[in-house]
Amino acid sequence: MHEHEITREIFRNFPLWMQVVFYVVAFSSIGVFLFGAWKRIQKYRKGRPAGRFNKLPQRFLKVLGIMMTHATLRKNYTYVGVAHWMIFWGFVVLFIGTCIIAFDHDFLRFFGVHLLKGTFYIVFSLFMDVFGVLFIIGLVMMMVRRAKKPFNLNYARVDRPEGKYDRSGYIRDDKIFLWLLLFIAVTGFIIEAARIAADGFPEFEKWAPFGYAMAHLLKSTGQLNAIHMATWWVHGIAVLIFVAYIPYSKAMHILVDYANLMFADKSTAKRLPRVPAEKMDKEGMGYVKLEDFTWKELLDFDACTKCGRCHYVCPARTAGAPLSPRDVILDMRMYADQLSGTEEWIDKQVLTNGGKAKSIAGDVILPETLWSCTTCMACMEVCPVGIEHLTTIVNLRRALVDEGEMEDMLQDALANIGDYGNSFGKPERMRAKWTKDLDFKPKDARKEPVEYLWFVGDYASFDERIQERTRKVATILHRAGVDFGLLYEDERNAGNDVRRVGEEGLYEMLAEDNIAALKSAKFQKIFTTDPHSYNTIKNEYPDFGGEFEIYHYTELLLELIRQGKIRITDKLKGIRVTYHDPCYLGRYNGITEPPREIIRALGMELVEMPRNRSNSFCCGAGGGRIWMDDSGLKERPSENRIKEALSLGDIRYFIIACPKDFAMYSDAVKTSGNEGKIEVKDIIELIEEAMEGAEVTAEA
Amino acid sequence: MNIIVPIKQVPDLVEELEVDSSGKALDKEWLKFRINEFDDHALEEALLLKEDLGGTVTVIALDGDDVDKALYTAAAKGADKLIKVTGVDAELDNHKAAMALASVIKDMDYDLILTGVQAVDDLDGQLPVLLAEYLGLPHIEVVTGVKVDGNVATVQKEFSGGIVGEYEVDLPAVLGIQAARETPRYVPVAKVRRAMRSAEIEEVSANVGDVSSALAVERMFKPETGGGAEFLTGSVDEIAAKIVELIKSKI
Repeated sequence: MHEHEITREIFRNFPLWMQVVFYVVAFSSIGVFLFGAWKRIQKYRKGRPAGRFNKLPQRFLKVLGIMMTHATLRKNYTYVGVAHWMIFWGFVVLFIGTCIIAFDHDFLRFFGVHLLKGTFYIVFSLFMDVFGVLFIIGLVMMMVRRAKKPFNLNYARVDRPEGKYDRSGYIRDDKIFLWLLLFIAVTGFIIEAARIAADGFPEFEKWAPFGYAMAHLLKSTGQLNAIHMATWWVHGIAVLIFVAYIPYSKAMHILVDYANLMFADKSTAKRLPRVPAEKMDKEGMGYVKLEDFTWKELLDFDACTKCGRCHYVCPARTAGAPLSPRDVILDMRMYADQLSGTEEWIDKQVLTNGGKAKSIAGDVILPETLWSCTTCMACMEVCPVGIEHLTTIVNLRRALVDEGEMEDMLQDALANIGDYGNSFGKPERMRAKWTKDLDFKPKDARKEPVEYLWFVGDYASFDERIQERTRKVATILHRAGVDFGLLYEDERNAGNDVRRVGEEGLYEMLAEDNIAALKSAKFQKIFTTDPHSYNTIKNEYPDFGGEFEIYHYTELLLELIRQGKIRITDKLKGIRVTYHDPCYLGRYNGITEPPREIIRALGMELVEMPRNRSNSFCCGAGGGRIWMDDSGLKERPSENRIKEALSLGDIRYFIIACPKDFAMYSDAVKTSGNEGKIEVKDIIELIEEAMEGAEVTAEA
Repeated sequence: MNIIVPIKQVPDLVEELEVDSSGKALDKEWLKFRINEFDDHALEEALLLKEDLGGTVTVIALDGDDVDKALYTAAAKGADKLIKVTGVDAELDNHKAAMALASVIKDMDYDLILTGVQAVDDLDGQLPVLLAEYLGLPHIEVVTGVKVDGNVATVQKEFSGGIVGEYEVDLPAVLGIQAARETPRYVPVAKVRRAMRSAEIEEVSANVGDVSSALAVERMFKPETGGGAEFLTGSVDEIAAKIVELIKSKI
């Protein structure tokens, strides 16, 4: 070695046999890695097509952007986002650096080329040093966080008691992962420091400032070359262990999650995948075997890092129901691994339910777990790695429906919808009975052309408390000169929640009937007060040949206020209110501002709840939960939400823009003992109060 | 274990019932029909027994309103064979209905016959009894639980006041089912559609001769409402006086 050449020696002072040993170990490690990765790829190949291979460059670049900014990771979690950013980029830079060394030493060398010298070496050194330090800081930050035992990282299950499962494997792997990486990083610096000290502190090594500083600490020890050699081996072996460990542990997310984000498609929640007609005809609707899942769903199961964000936001979990979206994914991973020989040897849980699972929906994921889901989509919204929990849950519910396995209340609701087109079990001709108490008769869009077809929905049509609000909407629109009509008894339940329950055959029937009725009516646009109907008509009916332009009533009302067709007084000015975003309006369809603008137009002081817009908290009624028994819950999600509103202090109105929400929250105010403290109001009631002129609604 | 389940279609009570112009029958024009609820329970119990013991479930119905749909639904739930009995108009006449069913069932191979204890449109509870009589079999009515061991069924019957009686009966037998062990199962729409394509309904014609209940409907009408109530107001003495007067006027 020449004293002053700006470079470093690879395999410094290594006899040949040591180099040979190193390469043998390195290739074995890479072999173990490739075997594990290949087994996983074999597993994904078992899945059905997911149709996600289009626009590959855009997908790749999109995720590159996410990686640069850590947008999904730092959302609501700044500390974690920063720590992970440092670990991630530390890892990437150190990995690239190692690759450059390998490329330089094991390839270019044979062509007489040497890259790592001079300025290039200095830049390289600086980068490796700085990112090495960031890497260590990130790891230590994560260790500190784990030591504080945050709720998200508590792996306790909600569906079975302690003792019936063992997740110490998860905790052990968390420790292995962090400590192994930290060990690799620290030993890397020691090697560098020992080398710098042994070489007598060459000037250019100051570009590795942290290694240089550490070298000063080491220089008095004397045995610098021995320290270098020993640490080099310890470090090298640790790195190679890590490489081999990746596909068998939580480190797998390094490989899987970039792909999972690339192929993620959140729109599968608002537009659920259809059951292929052939499958529906021959086998049934639901997923019953591993091959029924798409490869993206199988990838989802491996993508989970147990960050616990879905576990934290889930309204079912919050309410004490036996559902954690995290555990659905982890249990499916365990099941898929058992069948594919990809079992995680280190990062694993053990369930003591005895014997092998016979059915996925039933044994692997308990029926009560699947039925607890409100399909509010909060889990998908917060998942930083693009997991689509909902398609898995709905497809497993479909398997339960295939077997007729459901509670009586839900069964009655579905039977009613099948027989009468509504969940209330009322005759079809009663659907428009609510119009009887109006002082005008809404047009029949089947008979005369209208501008707007009002798709009323079951709750707004049949629930007596809500009918009153439905009439207010009708009267105000009539007064404002809106040309609208109804389908009368030809309207059916839109099917949004029937579909999410898993009754796909019934859903198809409803969608086909509604589309036929809509097509035979004469109108330009649709509006509805019901976010659930809105979602399925807008996003799912096109798959069945029904393309319609649809608006939520808050959009329509805002437009009328802006046009001056509804004239607002300052009667409600200054009243403190809060607004609840319905899941299917805000999170699903991004309509968060029209209701807020109406509230502001009324002059009220809008105070936001901590969980608002896409982060809104479900009322607990979605996904068919409104047809199921919720008496077993510790605290209904709606009651939790009312408490959140009350925590804002002195709020007069809890404003909603969804018929089901009116039912849910009116009940919740009573059952949580908060009557008189806060009042649930449909936004239409406030418009009515603030409007010019007298009371507009003809009461029953 | 081969089980036969006779079922019947009855008017859907969700719809408003109207009496037709003859004044002796329901106006059927707007009526929907659905399986008699007790028959649905009989079918459920039969399917549960089949799941426990193996064998087949045959569902049999007299031809009538929407009967195909009910049969296909039964097939979708797990019934193995569907039979529609034609050529008999036995409306509200359980003697005729029982004879028609018996004439078809008597040549079949079976261990047990389960049917609804009664139907919402006859409320006479006679069909199981008559069917047993025509087939020369033992019968038990108002059954809420069935266990089969070899050639003997242990049957539970629920009495008023929460007392349960337990009987043993040799098979074959006819049981009038009040309630199945479990709520009749939900059958997804896709399965019913599948059954409509793949299941077959065997049509068998029956001749019941001159069997008849010899009963005729004289008049069908909605209960007449009372004349309403009158609130008496005033002081205690005034009200007492009014009551005395009212009673005197009625004597």
